[in-house]
Amino acid sequence: MADTTASLPGQTSGAMRLVRKLPPTAMIGALILLFWIFTVLTIQFWPLANPLDMVGRRLQPPSAAHWLGTDALGRDVFSRTMHGAVWSIPIAFLVVACAVAVGSVLGALSGFFGGWTDGIIMRLVDVTVAFPPILLAMAVAAMLGPGLTNASVAMVIVWWPIYARLMRAQVLEVKEREHVEAAIAGGAGPLRVLRVHVLPLCWTPTLINATMDFGQVVLLAASLSFIGLGAKPPSPEWGSMISEGATRFYSWWIAFGPGMAILTVVLATSFLGDGLRDVFDRRSS
Amino acid sequence: MKHFTLKRGLAAAFLASSALMAPPALAQGSDTLVIARSMDVNSLDPARAFCDTCQFYLTAVYETLVTLGADNKTLVPNLATSWEMNDDLTEFTFHLKDATFADGSPVEAKDVVWSMERLKNLKGSPSFLVDDLVSAEEVDPKTVKFTLGASNSEFLNKISAAYTGVINSDVAKEHGALDGVDAAEKDSSEPWFLENSAGSGPFMLKSYSPEAELRMARNDAYYGDKAAFSEVVVTQIQDAVSQAQALETGQVDIAMQIDPDTAASIRSPDVKTEIVPSFNFVYMGFIPGAKGMKDVLTPEVRRALALAIDYEGMLDFTVGGNGAQQAAPIPNGFPGTENLVPRTYDLEKAKAMLADAGATDLKLVAGYPNDNVYGVDFNIMMQKVQQDFAKAGVELELKPLTWAVWRDELGAGEWPVTAVYYAPDYYGSAQYVQYFGMIDGYPWAKRASVGDFPLVVNPAEGPLYEQALRSSGADADAAYAKLGQQMMDDAIILPLVSPNLVLAYRDDIEGVRYSACCNLPLAEISRK
Repeated sequence: MADTTASLPGQTSGAMRLVRKLPPTAMIGALILLFWIFTVLTIQFWPLANPLDMVGRRLQPPSAAHWLGTDALGRDVFSRTMHGAVWSIPIAFLVVACAVAVGSVLGALSGFFGGWTDGIIMRLVDVTVAFPPILLAMAVAAMLGPGLTNASVAMVIVWWPIYARLMRAQVLEVKEREHVEAAIAGGAGPLRVLRVHVLPLCWTPTLINATMDFGQVVLLAASLSFIGLGAKPPSPEWGSMISEGATRFYSWWIAFGPGMAILTVVLATSFLGDGLRDVFDRRSS
Repeated sequence: MKHFTLKRGLAAAFLASSALMAPPALAQGSDTLVIARSMDVNSLDPARAFCDTCQFYLTAVYETLVTLGADNKTLVPNLATSWEMNDDLTEFTFHLKDATFADGSPVEAKDVVWSMERLKNLKGSPSFLVDDLVSAEEVDPKTVKFTLGASNSEFLNKISAAYTGVINSDVAKEHGALDGVDAAEKDSSEPWFLENSAGSGPFMLKSYSPEAELRMARNDAYYGDKAAFSEVVVTQIQDAVSQAQALETGQVDIAMQIDPDTAASIRSPDVKTEIVPSFNFVYMGFIPGAKGMKDVLTPEVRRALALAIDYEGMLDFTVGGNGAQQAAPIPNGFPGTENLVPRTYDLEKAKAMLADAGATDLKLVAGYPNDNVYGVDFNIMMQKVQQDFAKAGVELELKPLTWAVWRDELGAGEWPVTAVYYAPDYYGSAQYVQYFGMIDGYPWAKRASVGDFPLVVNPAEGPLYEQALRSSGADADAAYAKLGQQMMDDAIILPLVSPNLVLAYRDDIEGVRYSACCNLPLAEISRK
């Protein structure tokens, strides 16, 4: 495990080596994800119809002018699907980042200090994990009121315990190692030991997990919007678009665009996450 | 939390992108009539029930004194063969025919008196139908007389509502039903009514399982023409698309809640669809009593906003043009609506009026139930309003809510704009004034003012309403016409669309029609 740090992404040579080691499916996943990120960053320059404007007759099937047809308000479904990425992708990033931050900090403290700190944090984790995720997210979102901000808060509440557990398990293992004992014996304070000698060796599972969860967060956000607890109309959010399409099933194209978008993101992150695990985590491969 | 795997992710993705559900397989071509609908049953006790499903269930199982004819206007005899009233319209006498309840006992004046007293004293949702009843008395076993506290030219129409169905009092009393003034607290019969019925109608309740199935059996002892089906099953199918699929595959004989768009996509030659005008409507309501809105949402601003809505476009976007515009909050075709002209879209005038009223940078929030009613998706409807308001320089934020949250926030005046729907309980315009009139103490006056009645009360409406109740025929119609005009000028309730109704059924079924009192009269339906 000593070379784990050397192959972490971030260093150029490490990144290149990582790309070469990745299985082809993971590469496809990475490319799809890059496509969506590129879309988010450049969508405003694309020659697309305004996703909030009526551009044609309502409920028109796909045509050359409207690649994925028009919805019940005569808006271009393709344009709305592409613009939907601006809602879903950054929110998924934000939610995963917050969950990783909160979960990792609490998990590291829990694992490193043990005792009552560990007790309190882990019981909190147990309570949160005891609820099915969608149910807990619904309860929180319903309590705070609909809206993407509140849905994001709900999702962070649902997700942080995974990272707390992951980080705690890693810290528990690493803190027993000899170099840590040496550092403590050398007189380093506990926070310094945790920061310099323990944490750098604990990030791999978290990174793999965060990649895979990214798609799941997109899915949960869409689910919350689908049941009316996420994005508010008229935002072209994927879940609420599918919800609009579900009541007009014969106009299949309304739900098709956002459905495919969600599918590609979830698949891409699963592929990429699997690939990363194959490269980094030797125990499971 | 369990770790998500690729497989689970895929499954979830497919689930999220499909809304298919498999309806239960049911027999077809048999002696059983199967109806698909999303049931909204709150109770099966005539004096407590208040829902669209209740309307046709109660009509099939209980019978009213008078009912509405097939023209949806004329009152025709039902349990009563004839009736008289005094000139003041305060005393009504009914002569009963020789009908029998399902257990064979005769329908007598005492049952009618007991049922009406109970309806009033239970203080349930439908109690407003008889709220001006002072006394109901048995003149002889076949004659009953009602006395009202004030003139009411619509009393006959009101008691054609299915909720006034006559109950077999001897049977119901044995199971805890009461008719006294303490009935609201002490009546314990509601659970019994969910499993049994005690009416004189052509059907009897067989079983009811909430959110699943309502089963009725033919009343073989019916005194009149017996029903064509030995059993009627109402099966719970949530959405229009699933209902249409069940109809196309022959799992159901009638689908009650198909919207015109879905109806247009039905391809099976065995399915018949008819599109008929309905008396239902969806409307937007302004709440000037909402927080911080007292000096913002003035009558001038409300009238300006009412002109900023593209009503024709609204009709197209919500129901694909399958509906009608409606002027006042009284449905087209009801007394007094004949000469009311719906508003026309006039963006320039709206902008000018807003500027005159000093309403610049107006920002409003609309809270509404996130629902799809009578084929109208409220989200689509309110997005259209949002687009139209934006053209007039008014920003409208949309807040789709669950029903429970909507009700709470409405009562608290959290937002100044909302959207709801309304369906008639009988043929007559008084129910609309009673609900939408800007008269002190009335439900919508309370909602719009959030309790501060003077903010919205229109002093012209109270006397007009009294006048309407005192007169009948053309005079009453004239009074309702004036009331309609007043309610339009209030610009509190803006009817957006009166959606058409789709009657969709297998082609071997006949006798399906829409009734303003009773929704779907089951006893008239048969198989060819």
